[in-house]
Amino acid sequence: MYNRRHFSTGYIFIWLMDKYSRDVVVIGLKDDPIALVLDDLLKLDDILACMVARRNMISVMPSGDGFKPEVDQIWDSIHRAMDSVFGVIGEYSQIGLGEMEFRLQDHEVLFYVFPDTESALVAIVPALANKGLLEVELENARREILKIMENPKAEFGSQKKDDEVCVTA
Amino acid sequence: MELKVEAAVGMSRKWDARGAGREVAETAIKKLSEPPSFFLLFSTIHYEKYGGFQEFLNGVWDVLPKDTPLVGGTVAGFVNNYGCFSRGASALAVSYSNIDVAVGVGRNTKRNPYRAAKKCAEMIQDSLKESLYKNKFLLNFISGPVMPSIPGVGQKKYIRSGFISKFAIQALGLSQALVQKGLAREDEIFEETVKQLPDYQMILGTSMDDYRAMKNYQFFNDEILTNSVVNLGLATDLDLDVCTTHGMKETNHNFTITKLGAGNHAICKINGKPAVPELLRLLDWPEGFLTEETMLHSILYYPISLKRNGRAVPVVMPLIMKDYIIVPCIIDDGEVSILTVSGKDLVNAVKENLQYFDEIQPEFGLFSTCMTILQTLGRKTNIVQEELCNYFKDKSFLLFYSAGEGTYSPTKDITYANMSFNTAIFGHQKK
Repeated sequence: MYNRRHFSTGYIFIWLMDKYSRDVVVIGLKDDPIALVLDDLLKLDDILACMVARRNMISVMPSGDGFKPEVDQIWDSIHRAMDSVFGVIGEYSQIGLGEMEFRLQDHEVLFYVFPDTESALVAIVPALANKGLLEVELENARREILKIMENPKAEFGSQKKDDEVCVTA
Repeated sequence: MELKVEAAVGMSRKWDARGAGREVAETAIKKLSEPPSFFLLFSTIHYEKYGGFQEFLNGVWDVLPKDTPLVGGTVAGFVNNYGCFSRGASALAVSYSNIDVAVGVGRNTKRNPYRAAKKCAEMIQDSLKESLYKNKFLLNFISGPVMPSIPGVGQKKYIRSGFISKFAIQALGLSQALVQKGLAREDEIFEETVKQLPDYQMILGTSMDDYRAMKNYQFFNDEILTNSVVNLGLATDLDLDVCTTHGMKETNHNFTITKLGAGNHAICKINGKPAVPELLRLLDWPEGFLTEETMLHSILYYPISLKRNGRAVPVVMPLIMKDYIIVPCIIDDGEVSILTVSGKDLVNAVKENLQYFDEIQPEFGLFSTCMTILQTLGRKTNIVQEELCNYFKDKSFLLFYSAGEGTYSPTKDITYANMSFNTAIFGHQKK
């Protein structure tokens, strides 16, 4: 088990492996385009935490101070449950498993699987959040991350500074 | 030679209010070769925390040519040529020489909806009365509901206490009159607007926040307003039409409203019995089934078809107070059907709606759609966007999510419905 507060210690690319659970955490670089997409999501009031993850590994976290404090108390339980869900995702993503979710106490954890991978965009939201509205932005984030994964050298919306953003569609 | 209609959608995903305002205007008008004839502006509520709406509007006016008629407001989300969004800002700018444009405003909509509607309609009438163009259109955009906070309870969709419910029902009218918190009264405003401007085709929308119904804002030129109605009136030689579809289906469950309350906004008794227990019995739902959670996830799928002045009005039940069902519009008593709707039905309603416009070659389109559909479809809202893109191809469209919507045309009368898609399409009749 790792201490989530370690996330705020810097923006360097670090692998943290805890000797008890063998979890791996990759912290988002300040300019990591995926971390910037996650930063955007975390600004929404009802997104308490978000990450790109797979079993036993959080691949990218938001680049800021980590999750919102509401998640602190329940994080260890959620994290254990997440690993079980990733077991299912690992087994079925190749045959089209696209999304999963579970509720633990007053929180819901949403998984948006990246096609043909064992990784997913994960978000923790309050159980009574207006989930439909959040889903719209989570889907936008999933698509943007997918584009970044497919073409890591290109510049995407969230990477650009505010004065560089331009709609081109 | 046919005159060119230029329409462009602007878009910003910036968080900073001023920057977003600037960008939404820039991205729209840079695609036009002439200054816009009007500018419709919608944003989500987020800018309230990131600089405020005055800054947002200041950003728009940093870029937008002076005196461009502008109306709009906050919405739960929007769909446009670029995608589906529940955060950000979007605009529709149109430039066309054969179009006369007017904007109107009426204030204190929750306190005195008729006066606000009349004042707003008169501004449109006065400005467009000399217009030579025969096709007339009105966007009637109204401040949406604001849920009053009940002492000791807060802002809840389901109130279990009988005592508090009785108090809240009594206080509803008072809250609307004194502090302008409560139902939007958009149905009353829309009816009065139709009465004032009967030869216009209309689309009704309401401003909202992020589904919480705590606050909403309207934009009128360079002003930020609350509890107001803003109108955009157009007279043009473009062909145009409006259409409402909803996809709701009747079940075999019917009941009779036997007692109404709260100015005919509350169903107190059905089949001579307290309304909520009887509704639960009809739906085979157990006692105690209703909670804040089921209000979000279950009851939305069981709208009811009410009557208003003899017209069918399908609505959702947004608020339940112990034994009373609060409905968003004024209703008549009598026979009621319980309806049902699925995600597939909602998508089919979009297809059906667009089929209605098969004979029009679109130049641009505007949609007002129930925010409950956004909440229901969630990430599948992309299916709706794909349908719209297939119809409009490279032409611009903007759909915004409301909390009370409808259409009016002189040939089809008023259609007011929750969970509905309401479309106005401008273009040329196919030969």
